[in-house]
Amino acid sequence: MSSRGGKQKKGNVASEQEEEEQPLQAVLVADSFNRRFFPISKDQPRALLPLGNVAMIDYTLEFLTSTGVQETFVFCCWMSNKIKDHLLKSKWCRPTSPNVVHIITSDLYRSLGDVLRDVDAKTLVRNDFILVYGDVVSNIDVSQALQEHRHRRKVDKNISVMTMVFKESSPGHKSRCEEDDVIVAMDSKSKRVLHYQKTQGLKKLQFPMNIFQHGSDEFEVRHDLLDCHISICSPQVAELFTDNFDYQTRNDFVRGILVNEEILGNQIHLYVTQDGYGARVSNLQMYDSVSSDMVRRWVYPVTPEANFTDQRGQGCTHSRHNVYRGAGVSLGHGSQMEENVLIGRDTSIGANCHISNSVIGNNCTIGDNVVLDRGYIWNNVDISSNVEIHQSVVCDGAVVKEAVRLNKQCVLAYNVEIGPNLSLPEGTVVSMHHPEEEEEDDDDEFLSDDQEVGHSKDKTRQKAFNPAEVGPEGKGYIWKPSVDDTEDEELAQCLWGLVLNPDPESDSESEASEESQDRSRSVSPEIDDVNAFQLEVLGTLQRGLEENIVCDNLVLEINSLKYAYNITLKEVMQILTRVVLEYPFQLQGTQLTTLQYTGLLLPLLKKWSPVFKNYIKRAQDHLDCLSAVEELFLEQDTHQTAMVKVLMKMYQLEILEEAAILKWFSTGTTTDRSRQLRKNKGLQKFIQWLEEAEDESSEEGE
Amino acid sequence: MPGADKETDLTERIEAFLADLKRGGSGTGPLRGSGEMARETTYLLRRITAQTRWSSAGDLMEIIRNEGRRMTAAQPSETTVGNMVRRVLKIIREEYARSRGSSEETEQQESLHKLLTSGGLSEENFRQHFAPLKANVIEAINELLTELEGTTDNIAMQALEHIHSNEVIMTVGRSRTVEAFLKDAARKRKFHVIVAECAPFCQGHEMATGLSKAGIETTVIADAAIFAVMSRVNKVIIGTQTVLANGGLRAVNGTHTVALAAKHHSTPLIVCAPMFKLSPQFPNEEDTFHMFVSPHEVLPFTEGEILSEVNVHCPVFDYVPPELITLFISNIGGNAPSYIYRLMSELYHPEDHKL
Repeated sequence: MSSRGGKQKKGNVASEQEEEEQPLQAVLVADSFNRRFFPISKDQPRALLPLGNVAMIDYTLEFLTSTGVQETFVFCCWMSNKIKDHLLKSKWCRPTSPNVVHIITSDLYRSLGDVLRDVDAKTLVRNDFILVYGDVVSNIDVSQALQEHRHRRKVDKNISVMTMVFKESSPGHKSRCEEDDVIVAMDSKSKRVLHYQKTQGLKKLQFPMNIFQHGSDEFEVRHDLLDCHISICSPQVAELFTDNFDYQTRNDFVRGILVNEEILGNQIHLYVTQDGYGARVSNLQMYDSVSSDMVRRWVYPVTPEANFTDQRGQGCTHSRHNVYRGAGVSLGHGSQMEENVLIGRDTSIGANCHISNSVIGNNCTIGDNVVLDRGYIWNNVDISSNVEIHQSVVCDGAVVKEAVRLNKQCVLAYNVEIGPNLSLPEGTVVSMHHPEEEEEDDDDEFLSDDQEVGHSKDKTRQKAFNPAEVGPEGKGYIWKPSVDDTEDEELAQCLWGLVLNPDPESDSESEASEESQDRSRSVSPEIDDVNAFQLEVLGTLQRGLEENIVCDNLVLEINSLKYAYNITLKEVMQILTRVVLEYPFQLQGTQLTTLQYTGLLLPLLKKWSPVFKNYIKRAQDHLDCLSAVEELFLEQDTHQTAMVKVLMKMYQLEILEEAAILKWFSTGTTTDRSRQLRKNKGLQKFIQWLEEAEDESSEEGE
Repeated sequence: MPGADKETDLTERIEAFLADLKRGGSGTGPLRGSGEMARETTYLLRRITAQTRWSSAGDLMEIIRNEGRRMTAAQPSETTVGNMVRRVLKIIREEYARSRGSSEETEQQESLHKLLTSGGLSEENFRQHFAPLKANVIEAINELLTELEGTTDNIAMQALEHIHSNEVIMTVGRSRTVEAFLKDAARKRKFHVIVAECAPFCQGHEMATGLSKAGIETTVIADAAIFAVMSRVNKVIIGTQTVLANGGLRAVNGTHTVALAAKHHSTPLIVCAPMFKLSPQFPNEEDTFHMFVSPHEVLPFTEGEILSEVNVHCPVFDYVPPELITLFISNIGGNAPSYIYRLMSELYHPEDHKL
């Protein structure tokens, strides 16, 4: 007789999904496949970092469970043992859990692509599944999106392979991750994605025209979307990843699908929601904003006081101004918890402290007269008196001694000790790992052997701590991300996101500074293209020299480069001239004497003259080429005397016509320096000789 | 081992219920009404009574109390759950007393002297084993369930006594009980209902659509207009989330405004509240009293930059002091706020007030 209650209880969401005979599955990738959170994630995988005193992966699992997922595959790689231990202890692995969690570990996963290929190889998914990362915090109800997805798949026979969940939020929202900023062009009726592009701060974006030419008559180009990193995938997605082994990320996948839409006939759709909350903690900036959103109850009902992980003693009370207190919290006389404060259990706070917008973990000790603003203090941290912490992260077991001041965006990684009497400059990262050991670990970064960590610790012990950096009694090293990579990767390593060394202005988020940033961004891409082209041309010529390639082929290659980088003919010529003239410097360094320079250059000019001739045809071309020469020698003013020889040689090789040279000499004098250049004796002589030669020839002609 | 299967099934059910409570909460979204919540709790408690192993009433009470504590902790704002646990505990006490042959009724009418002397002895009294106790308790819980099923109808039946023709009635937000009450009255009488929309959730809009579909003349007003309109109103009829032990209310935001305006104009304020909403809680327990939900409704997330500059709060409940309330209409009839304490002692045993 009690079964009647049972049927009612299941709730409407679950019952709808049960009609589809198979349980809803999810793939949770508990690895970020990047090193954004280094050095913090050197000791603890990102998915286990506490956010609001709860490991991030718990939020993700709670999200999945509340949407009705019944089977979740957790893929871990970096420090998989820790994740496994955590999950086995959590409520998700209890036999009563409605969501069965399978943990799959491998050291071989290097990207999302690897994980999905493994999903395909093991044929884990049988039906549509939800794909999320282990650091997504969300309370979005995806059942609506799921329904739309299933409907679409039923109507047009498996054409739609993926539905991405986005949340509407206008630009400038602090929970929008700048790196994930996307521009999406979509069909407003069918919600089909036509074009998908990360903005990466660009101001000019190009949309291929063909996307607007077929399909329906209504389009939306949207920039007000926040990528929740939640996608509903059909089993085909895993297969497609297997077929295309070069897909590494979801971004690759989406672009690949869109580019090959005609061929493969697959489509990607979008689900835009206004309700709910969804964000991925992809850097510390996001950590900061997601934490504060959590404390401000944006993710309700996933709130700190709900204790959804069901851990004993984790519960806390919520009182006005979003102040949360765990069990056994003691607060000294005169201490103030202003607003948006979360304090974990058994933490004691001294007298006259001032705490606002902060999260403090369990078992922390905080002294007197401490000021905390936007501080994220994890567990077992010891903070002495008179400490000031602004917008910083202090990890487990760290000790902050008397009168230390942490300025904005500082990070104290695990077990670091700082102080006393020290002020850490903005953006300082202190870790027990020496930055140089980074290089050594480079190759086996994905091996999560505890042994290896211990081993490296021994090594670091030998190097002394710098008291100027971490204070007289401090322990730890200043962490610098390795700089040898290209610029993009350096950015990707930055803990706090794109703002690498934030100006005081940009942090106050004044509009003026943002505009200036924008402006600088809008210029940069063109320069980048030109620079890249220049490098490519240089490379081509170098190769041509080494492998003795015929000039015709070089021309062919340069032409194709021209199209690849969208460079005008005029620019091609200027760049070509520049590259050739700078070539000796490239070979021998800039310390060449003029004599050596010309000695090296002249044979080159002779060798490559067919290339030049190919590009320099019209009168205008000659002038452009000359101005490029002039420009270069204006820069290299120690070698101005070589200019005559270069011009002479070019004249002799019939690259340049004498009329053009004369015209160039007589006109074009705009700046003082170029005028000075023209006063060069050698040059004047050359010009004179040219004029005479012309006279002669004209006389002869008569 | 079918027994073991049953037990894991039961714990699974309890876990699922707890998770639902945590995720659900009350006040926002398409949530189940408290009537349904009360029924579900009672179903579950009946199942616990039937399927867990216990030998005496004391054991059973301990089991129920433990589960009850977890359920109330999962969602402190949902008082109905705790109320139902207390009702079931009371049932067990009564059935036990009946099995023993003594009348719980006389014990219930304790004198002050008895209260002081009886102290901690009571638990030990429940150790005796009675074979038919289980069947009796389940029977009594079934009766409770039938009572719960009928509450809304019972309240609605009294509508004609309170609503007269051509009256102007104000209500706030959406209450299923009030809706049924007004609809019932509309079968015989013609009257006008003014609904305060109850921003930011605006359940008032739903209420108004429901009423106008039933052929009742309905007007929706903004919350700010409550006082201005009040002078035309003959009667205010509202629902509530909880009736507190002192006769006050914990009701949806905006109710206090309505109550104050009604007091100012001496308009009678009638509260439709089924008995299962009566809670032994007092309004001073600050931590669980308030509930704040996502500020999304107040200032949408889509706003962008401004959100990092401001603090947005979105509380769900209001406290209405008993002085502002004229009459409670429950499924067992009309009562004045000052009479609530008496109902309380009839429904719950004093020892169960704190689970």
